[in-house]
Amino acid sequence: MLQKTDSNATGFVVAALGLFFIGGLLTTVAPPLLDKSWNKPFKNSDPAKGPTGKLVGYTEQEMRGYHIYVREGCKYCHTQQVRTLASDVKRSGWKGVDAPVSTPDEFVYDWRQTFGTKRTGPDLARVGGKYNKQWHAAHFRNPRDLVPGSIMPPFPWIADNPQELDDLVAYLQTRGRAKDWRPDNDYEK
Amino acid sequence: MAVQPTLASAPVAAGQDIHQDTTVKMFLLGAVGYFAIVGVIALIIAAKFVWPEFLGTISYFTYGRMRPLHVNGMLFGWLLAADMGLAYYIVPRLCGVRLWSEKLGVATSILWNIIIVSAIVSLLGGYQKGLEYADLPTPVAVLVVIAWVMFGVNIFGTIATRKYQQMYVSTWYLMGTILWTAFVYLTGNFATLLPGITGVNQANLTWMYTHNAVGLIFTPAGLAVAYYFIPRASNTPLFSHKLSMIGFWSLAFVYVWTGAHHMIHGPISQWLQTISIVFSVMLLIPVWAVVYNFIATMKGQWHQLGDNVSLKFLMSGTVFYLLTCFQGPMHSLRSVNAIVSKTDWIPGHAHMAVLGTFSFMAMAGVYYVIPRVFKTTLHSETLANWSFWLFLIGGLGMFTALWLGGFWQGWQWNNPAIPFIDTVVALKPVWMVRFLSGIMIFGGIVLFMFNIISTAIGAGQRQAIPQPVAVKA
Ligand code: HEC
Ligand code: HEM
Repeated sequence: MLQKTDSNATGFVVAALGLFFIGGLLTTVAPPLLDKSWNKPFKNSDPAKGPTGKLVGYTEQEMRGYHIYVREGCKYCHTQQVRTLASDVKRSGWKGVDAPVSTPDEFVYDWRQTFGTKRTGPDLARVGGKYNKQWHAAHFRNPRDLVPGSIMPPFPWIADNPQELDDLVAYLQTRGRAKDWRPDNDYEK
Repeated sequence: MAVQPTLASAPVAAGQDIHQDTTVKMFLLGAVGYFAIVGVIALIIAAKFVWPEFLGTISYFTYGRMRPLHVNGMLFGWLLAADMGLAYYIVPRLCGVRLWSEKLGVATSILWNIIIVSAIVSLLGGYQKGLEYADLPTPVAVLVVIAWVMFGVNIFGTIATRKYQQMYVSTWYLMGTILWTAFVYLTGNFATLLPGITGVNQANLTWMYTHNAVGLIFTPAGLAVAYYFIPRASNTPLFSHKLSMIGFWSLAFVYVWTGAHHMIHGPISQWLQTISIVFSVMLLIPVWAVVYNFIATMKGQWHQLGDNVSLKFLMSGTVFYLLTCFQGPMHSLRSVNAIVSKTDWIPGHAHMAVLGTFSFMAMAGVYYVIPRVFKTTLHSETLANWSFWLFLIGGLGMFTALWLGGFWQGWQWNNPAIPFIDTVVALKPVWMVRFLSGIMIFGGIVLFMFNIISTAIGAGQRQAIPQPVAVKA
């Protein structure tokens, strides 16, 4: 029996691909069919169900900024997900307010997912409105001027290019804005 | 015992001369060259953690462009190319026939070089898809698919014309690698780009790809190499053919389910996280089956490690495999994951797999194969031994620094009272140790490359290579 199975190349191909497709399809194609929140943009007007707000698509400028984010590989150092952990909720929050947990429906318009795997720098899921444009400009020129000890690389070619700087900052300011989570709408511009 | 395992350990048969091995030589020498080139990039990105300004003001050399270059260069330029070169060596020998088409093999190797060079140029220019491990721009990814089909046709063609009916487990693993890679690669590079695939959906497809790039590409390829060379290098038959099959089929079933364990606690359906955790823990089965088989094969043969560099690499690779694949299931658990995920622990884990395990196994194969295909002896056993110790000590330094550092980092993150920047500053000594260990590893790479190239060049100078037997048309 054993002898026979290991002499049969065709049988092998069928079995190896069969097992692969069972697991592969059930874990990739099935989930979005079962969990609608993967494809339906976030929208909530009932404060009883958590933060209210509505996910809107990217403007052209924000999209250009998004491309810069991808081009420069920011996501190799920054995640964009507030996990269901108390420490994430605290750390992604700012000015004393905790950040809401990220949900799949906030990412529906993300043409390149930016969840990331490594937090060499802090999570950026709720960074929209945390700093103003001057801050970002100075930070991109040399992060250590603002945050001593930082190991974020300098990006002078962005800081010196008004168009790219505007675009990238516009993109960053959208992060986390689907959910109206700030008490007094105290977002910086 | 079955035919094949003994075959894998039989003394080199007289029939060996039937092999021309041009493809093997081209793939392996190319892979060794890229190993060294990308090794420089590895040192640069490791240095950037210690000196963030280093090469910092030139856009081409910024961290976010160098890191994907490091990852893709190592995975495709070195590791996959080395595994492919070894497959071109192993499969014809296990089948008792010549490679199906040497010409196709040579063409594949040329195409592979085109791919790697275009990958380097485009990644430095910032042309990348922005999907981890699938960073290569689409035209380059298309070339990868073409090269892979050429490789697959050649290997399956060889298997179809085989003289020995029964297939040894290395053949199984290589066939699995070819089939799975095809679909895993298509998923990560093309399915992710389909219209309407965004956000979490795209991420889920990406994790299916990245995780299986390791699990269904580098694992089966690396194990095929180890299953062939452990019995070969030690002249001992494989302990159990049956156990090797249990390992194979459980791997085939379990691996593909685990992708979502990269998003534990993240914005992805809870039940999918749970499935990935359950299957991640089940991964212990194939791993232990494989490791037990390797260790049992070496029973009574351990003394051979002393003067056999290939065996040293193979057996330390086996130990690293056991450790990596113990870590994997453990940090899938929600409680452990809450500490180590997204920290420096993860590169510690990843490097133990791709460097400590699969690169060690590939290097063992290269050290074994190169003298044989060039019909000579290794340039220097002493240097080879030095390279092993540099890799081992450098590797251990890097892994342990990153684990300890990563765990500590995760611990600090879980206390939100500690400002983030303090957790960055706290890790600086760890990154320094990683850089210094990286220098040792790089030293190992250089010695390895020097030895292999000297062997290849020396062969020509020492003795005329016997004319290969006429190629099959
Ligand atoms: C080598 C890793 C690295 C890369 C690449 C990187 N960063 Fe950072 N980033 C950091 C670190 C470390 C910090 C924390 C210290 C600081 O604020 O400078 C940080 C902080 C930040 C902050 C402030 C976050 C906060 O909440 O205070 C923003 C915004 C930011 N980075 C954006 C970017 C963007 C945009 C890119 C890509 C153009 C990028 N980073 C690339 C490491 C990196
Ligand atoms: C000289 C030795 C090496 C050094 C110093 C080195 C350094 C690094 C660094 C600094 C990173 C980024 C880690 C981070 O994001 O924090 C990295 C990532 C990576 N390296 Fe290496 N590396 C080395 C060898 C290798 C080899 C030989 C391989 C593969 C064969 C490899 C494969 C990878 C992969 C796959 C990643 C991504 C890990 C992940 O997804 O988390 N590296 N390496």
